[in-house]
Amino acid sequence: MLEIKDLTMQFGALKSINDLNIKVNQGEVVSVIGPNGAGKTTLFNVITGIYTPTSGTVMLGETKLNGLSPAKVNRMGVARTFQNVRLFLNMSVIENVMAATYARTKSGLFASALALPSSKGEEKAVRERAEELLSFFGTRLTGYRWGEPAYSLSYANRRRLEIARALATDPKVLLLDEPAAGMNPKETHEITEIIERLRTEKGLTILVIEHDMHVVEGISDRVIALDYGVKIAEGDFEKVATHPDVIEAYLGRGTSDKK
Amino acid sequence: MSNVKPEDTSSLGIGTDQWVEQHEKRIGNRSGLVGKALSLLQRIPVFARYGLLLGAAFVFGALVQNEYLLRIAVNLGVFLMLTYGLNIVMCFAGLLDLGYVAFFGFGAYQYALLSSPHLNTHLPTIATIPIIVLSTALLGLLVSLPSRRLFGDYLAIVTLFFGQVFVQLVLASDSITFPGAEESKDFTGGSNGIPGLDKFKFFGFEFTSIRHYYWFVLVVLILLTIAITRVDRTRIGRAWRTIREDSLASESMGISINNLKTLAFVTGAALAGFAGAIYAGVQLAVFVNGFDVPLLTLIYAAVILGGSGSIPGAIMGAFIMSVLPEILRVPEYSEILFIAVLALTIITLSKSIKKILLTFVALLVTGFIGLLIFQLFGVKRALDETWAIGPVSKIMKSWLFVPENQIFWGNISFVLLIAAIAYYTTASKKIRMIALPIIGYLAIFLWEVRLIANPSVTRQLIIGALLIVLMIVRPQGFLGKARVEVL
Repeated sequence: MLEIKDLTMQFGALKSINDLNIKVNQGEVVSVIGPNGAGKTTLFNVITGIYTPTSGTVMLGETKLNGLSPAKVNRMGVARTFQNVRLFLNMSVIENVMAATYARTKSGLFASALALPSSKGEEKAVRERAEELLSFFGTRLTGYRWGEPAYSLSYANRRRLEIARALATDPKVLLLDEPAAGMNPKETHEITEIIERLRTEKGLTILVIEHDMHVVEGISDRVIALDYGVKIAEGDFEKVATHPDVIEAYLGRGTSDKK
Repeated sequence: MSNVKPEDTSSLGIGTDQWVEQHEKRIGNRSGLVGKALSLLQRIPVFARYGLLLGAAFVFGALVQNEYLLRIAVNLGVFLMLTYGLNIVMCFAGLLDLGYVAFFGFGAYQYALLSSPHLNTHLPTIATIPIIVLSTALLGLLVSLPSRRLFGDYLAIVTLFFGQVFVQLVLASDSITFPGAEESKDFTGGSNGIPGLDKFKFFGFEFTSIRHYYWFVLVVLILLTIAITRVDRTRIGRAWRTIREDSLASESMGISINNLKTLAFVTGAALAGFAGAIYAGVQLAVFVNGFDVPLLTLIYAAVILGGSGSIPGAIMGAFIMSVLPEILRVPEYSEILFIAVLALTIITLSKSIKKILLTFVALLVTGFIGLLIFQLFGVKRALDETWAIGPVSKIMKSWLFVPENQIFWGNISFVLLIAAIAYYTTASKKIRMIALPIIGYLAIFLWEVRLIANPSVTRQLIIGALLIVLMIVRPQGFLGKARVEVL
């Protein structure tokens, strides 16, 4: 589904990603782990078109994604969330989701201004779709919260809303950047279930960056470990978690030998 | 393993969030007296508010015979159209367009060229208005294309430049010599402008009276208000707001931000062009100095004063910024307004009723002390008839000492006042309590001694002071919502 070939992303002398190869199959949940500065978020930024890679390709099925603008990458079917949660804070919860249907809807300036039937119908459909997506998170984001501004949400709810917003763009591939960051144990467990349901109910292919190893263990079909922009291990959770290079990357040189 | 503790929710009802709970409280407490007044206003339903406004507009148009008042109302309408346009460009899409007023001028000059004896063309209005709206939109497109990747300050500089280019071009286009032609041709009349324009004429019906324009502008405004409100609530409006909120996130959600920015810019330009055509049709003459920076600052002031992004705010801002200067033309009115603004400032700055009373008493005492000091030093007093003209100054006759050498003392008090205000903004709370009555006295003194004789200066000063006070008390504007940037 998503294939990254020989990808290098260089900022000046710094190679954030170095000759990286990743393949994510349809319906798979793949976690990317690695210490801070390993190049995980850079990888996401390259896939979604925020950075243009120095060399290499990003393929979604048969389509080449690198070189496309973020908006076009999204229209091809790749949606993402952000590590530092970038919601439209001063818009209401439901508007955040409704706005993300922009590329999938048509009504223009005049249709809206004149309230043509096409515009009205579309508006209704968009609202229903947004309500449906928000209901995906149980009661967390429903009811009275729809009209609340996004900034009034708790941190965990902001992360949920960001996922709902990404879903509104009808993606095939979903990139989640630390979905469980800042959540309490209960919420962390909940997000694990949500990711599983996104795969089974929505049929999404998911790439996750995550630091919480419980989450990684709970959701991943496959885990990829990065360090200094290089893939140091790949495989199921058990294999990667015990891989000497991974332990070394997290704990420092020499630690894996002493164990 | 994260060990974040679950939120303490024991004190909250079911289904409520701690943050939301506090947020409501904060909004309730935030804005003091102004906020309370607004929350009263908020209780009137939206439809009723617009209905009242519309009713007032109809009654005004039907009953008022005074041509001067009608003219002010028409100008207000044109100004409101400009405010709407800028609202789209700046508040919906977040583009800082400092060349905005050039589109207004472009529309007005086009009307002047298309329907006046200047080039001897007299197109019917039903043709000129679409031509003007479309060509101004096209000009907006041309300006926005090279600048569509620019944001914030950079866009501001480019558009400011464009605005100045427009002014200079119009000034210079009074003698253009085409290659091969013997004589130069006058297109814009240069600094003399173009006088003697045709009145609006639809299918043989000529707008002979200002009242015709009034109804025309009113209908246009009603339609525009509905259209803009609708756009704001639907797909395009939402997408515009996402750009303002976070353009990177917006783009990552598949929203084509460059196209939307262009669309906002072009829509704003088209509206300004339309407004320009009406303005030219009302004034029946165009002069380039009417389309320069002073007007631009007034439009921006109206948008900011009313509250960015809010349509009722735009109406209120436009009303204040276009009717206020007219009121301030008359010294008696401007005096009342000045005292009212001063009293309001003192009230909002002192907050509690006890402190307000204390400040006013202190102000009275300061006045008598001033009187005493002046008489002690034997400064010559001006005759009452020379300054106590307005209703308020008549009351203040025996309280305020107005020296004979008004220019000298006026200038001194001016410097003192500015110094005092500058000091006030950084002073501690206790000193502020003492400084406030002194500032109030200095302001009144300066007003009566120096400013009342120069209405053109005072108008700018009052508007400026009003803006400053408002921005301190209510930074989001009268009807604007406080925006949260990063949390």
